Amino acid sequence: MSNNKNINQDSTEKISIGRRLSFLNSQITYLILVIIIVGIIATALNPNFLTLRNFFNIMQQVSVLGILTMCMSLLMISGGLDISIGNMAGLVAMIFAKMLIAGKGIPISVITVLAIALILGFINGLIIAKSKVTPLIITLGMNYVFLGVALIIGGGRPQTITGQFEFLGEAKIGPVPVSIIIYLLILLFAFFLRKNTKYGRRLNAIGGNTQAAFLSGINVDWHIISIYALSGLIVGLAGLVLVSRLGMVRADSGSDFALQALAAAIIGGITFEGGRGSLVGAFFGVLLLGILYNAMNIIGVNSYVQTIILGAIIVVATVVSNIGKMRR
Amino acid sequence: MNNILNRKEKILDVKNITKEFPGVKALSDFNFDLNKGEVHCLIGENGAGKSTFIKILSGAFKPTRGEIHINNEKHYYLTPHLARKIGIQTVYQEDVLVPQITAAENIFLGSEIDNQKFFINYKKIIEQAESLASQLGINIKVSEVYEKLSPPDQQFVKILKALAQKPQILILDEPTQAFNVKDIGLIIQMVKRISSEGVSVIYIAHNLDEIIQVADRVTVLRDGIKINTHDKTAENLSTSILAKEMVGRPVELFYKKKESSIGDFVFEVRGLKLKSFSKEINFKVREGEILGIAGLKGAGRSEIARAIFGALKKYRGKVFYKNKDITPSNPIKAVREGLALLTEDKKIDGLFMGMPVDQNVTIVGLDMLGKIFINFIKEKKLSIDYINKLNIKTPSLDKEVRFLSGGNQQKVVLAKWLFKGVNVLIVDEPTHGIDVNAKIEVYELFTQLAASGKSIIMISSEMPELISLSDRVIVIRNFEISKELIGDEITEENILAGFMGGM
Repeated sequence: MSNNKNINQDSTEKISIGRRLSFLNSQITYLILVIIIVGIIATALNPNFLTLRNFFNIMQQVSVLGILTMCMSLLMISGGLDISIGNMAGLVAMIFAKMLIAGKGIPISVITVLAIALILGFINGLIIAKSKVTPLIITLGMNYVFLGVALIIGGGRPQTITGQFEFLGEAKIGPVPVSIIIYLLILLFAFFLRKNTKYGRRLNAIGGNTQAAFLSGINVDWHIISIYALSGLIVGLAGLVLVSRLGMVRADSGSDFALQALAAAIIGGITFEGGRGSLVGAFFGVLLLGILYNAMNIIGVNSYVQTIILGAIIVVATVVSNIGKMRR
Repeated sequence: MNNILNRKEKILDVKNITKEFPGVKALSDFNFDLNKGEVHCLIGENGAGKSTFIKILSGAFKPTRGEIHINNEKHYYLTPHLARKIGIQTVYQEDVLVPQITAAENIFLGSEIDNQKFFINYKKIIEQAESLASQLGINIKVSEVYEKLSPPDQQFVKILKALAQKPQILILDEPTQAFNVKDIGLIIQMVKRISSEGVSVIYIAHNLDEIIQVADRVTVLRDGIKINTHDKTAENLSTSILAKEMVGRPVELFYKKKESSIGDFVFEVRGLKLKSFSKEINFKVREGEILGIAGLKGAGRSEIARAIFGALKKYRGKVFYKNKDITPSNPIKAVREGLALLTEDKKIDGLFMGMPVDQNVTIVGLDMLGKIFINFIKEKKLSIDYINKLNIKTPSLDKEVRFLSGGNQQKVVLAKWLFKGVNVLIVDEPTHGIDVNAKIEVYELFTQLAASGKSIIMISSEMPELISLSDRVIVIRNFEISKELIGDEITEENILAGFMGGM
């Protein structure tokens, strides 16, 4: 026993370096490679692709999706999922537009809808934590509830607020659009929340093994409810960016986002098993989707064909990431 | 002895089998033979090469060198298909059956009787399964859904499934893991019956008493090398000799506990009622004492542990520490009051397999690493302390726990609780599935912990463990305490008597 080599301070140095670089795992490396390849092809076909202005353009286009992907990723890492975040963002945007149109003023409207979003997330979390029903089913149902409520509030008609609220979506600070700054701030926040806080570590543990977390004295229900509520708050922010960018909102303006966010998270290496995956990966997943859309537009690919290609990319990415797992 | 055995017809003869993996020689020049109708046991510590050998015989691994002679036919390697065709059936530890369908359907899944038509003839399948079971003198309800069967019955079903293929050679990989004495006896009986009908059995197990009962011959493997083969007709087998050969140095099967001083009663369970019909359970534990809880599986041992810990809501009863009522309504409160629970199945409810070693160590005691943010430097430093203190072997702090051996995983669970700091440690089958050396290390840790004033409640099926480690033993039978044994009274006979409810 005595000659067995245990860990000493020396090997710790290596460990800490290894951990710092651990986000550069194979999945992310592949993603960056694919992004570069797509970029090279797009630039060869149209030199306008590789410009700073186009890059900002892409980032701005994916900002709402990116923010929602952070919500989805945080939930998936905790062993959860929320299919309703798209329509939740739409509902929030709808309420906001109605309030502005009714002349309530921006500050009060912003605070109100963020509070509503927080409560909606809280409700999702409460039902999921207490009923122990799989989150997919619960949030699928809530998805329709949110859509229906948005339809009622909007009377089934689009609500236009052109020119009344452009700061989040269209304004720039220096050369950088505000929506990108918000997205990156949320990314940073989510990253630190997960890596550096006890709260994040416990979420990770719950996602990895709920039963062990429970028996380790972690307050599982509280963590689940609070992460859904926090996710709801961030969805509220995404809803505001959304309505600001569009200048109008329909009840189903957010409908496509939930599944796209799920796809981006999976492309980025977040798994359904929970406890695993990196938020940086999810960021690159979003970026890849954005670059593909943009490149196809610049090249002039038919929009119906674009839909097919995006669907296929999701399938390929998931299969590829699973091959990696099988080898492990 | 019957005729078949006397003739000693060799049906399997493995010569100089070597299997190399990058950087490791899992088996080197291993020789092994098997006669018709004999039970040949294979023993060795975890990592000795037993599983590698089984996988070669079942066609999953291709050996690097060597020959496999089966029925005097020479093979250099087998494929899964060929192994099956020759009649080699392996029953693995892991469950490979379908939990939601009946035992009978599982038994014939994929065999001829199942593939006959489009439609399944349930009646026929159940009849066939029943006759197969009764041939072996087993009484199980084959029409029951598999997942509802007890663990021994599930094991019987797995063995019956293998036998339904009419094998020449049956390989059983730890068929009795986690079974109690009585169930082990049933499996041994069944194996003897199978071999008496001419099937040759390769039997792998950790429990040496069981090996000695079931074996005709025993081969000992250590680090991929054959140490010895014992023939039970030629010599008297003893567990101490086998154990010595397995680990390469004398091992005290009965761990010798250092005497330590025991304090006053500090922990008390009062009025715990597990079933409406059962009597209340009351017991106390002293500071620095190890209290053993013995009992057959299903007698209510694990329920006691979980009920004390607040993980099972429905039970009535109070828990006191130093005369203060600390009855936890959930594990969150139990942890806050200084209780710790090491569950029986660490993979399911003790470890975070996908998380690195250090994060597993610190997860319960995260509060020590900061108010909101985790101090990573402190985390690293403290978890290294515990890894060294508990002698946990891991290539790095970053290694995910699932890559560690069973013994080291168990030590990680222990580290998780010690890191947080506990007063009362409740352990359920602490050495289940770990090898002899790791067991001794765990025993030493428990002894040290007790000496440092912690109270330990140890639930165990292993007699040597209970007898050598416990200061006191309570025996649980039918959800009640049937006996309390102190000092010299703690003997195998007395504990068994408690199981049966006699005397």
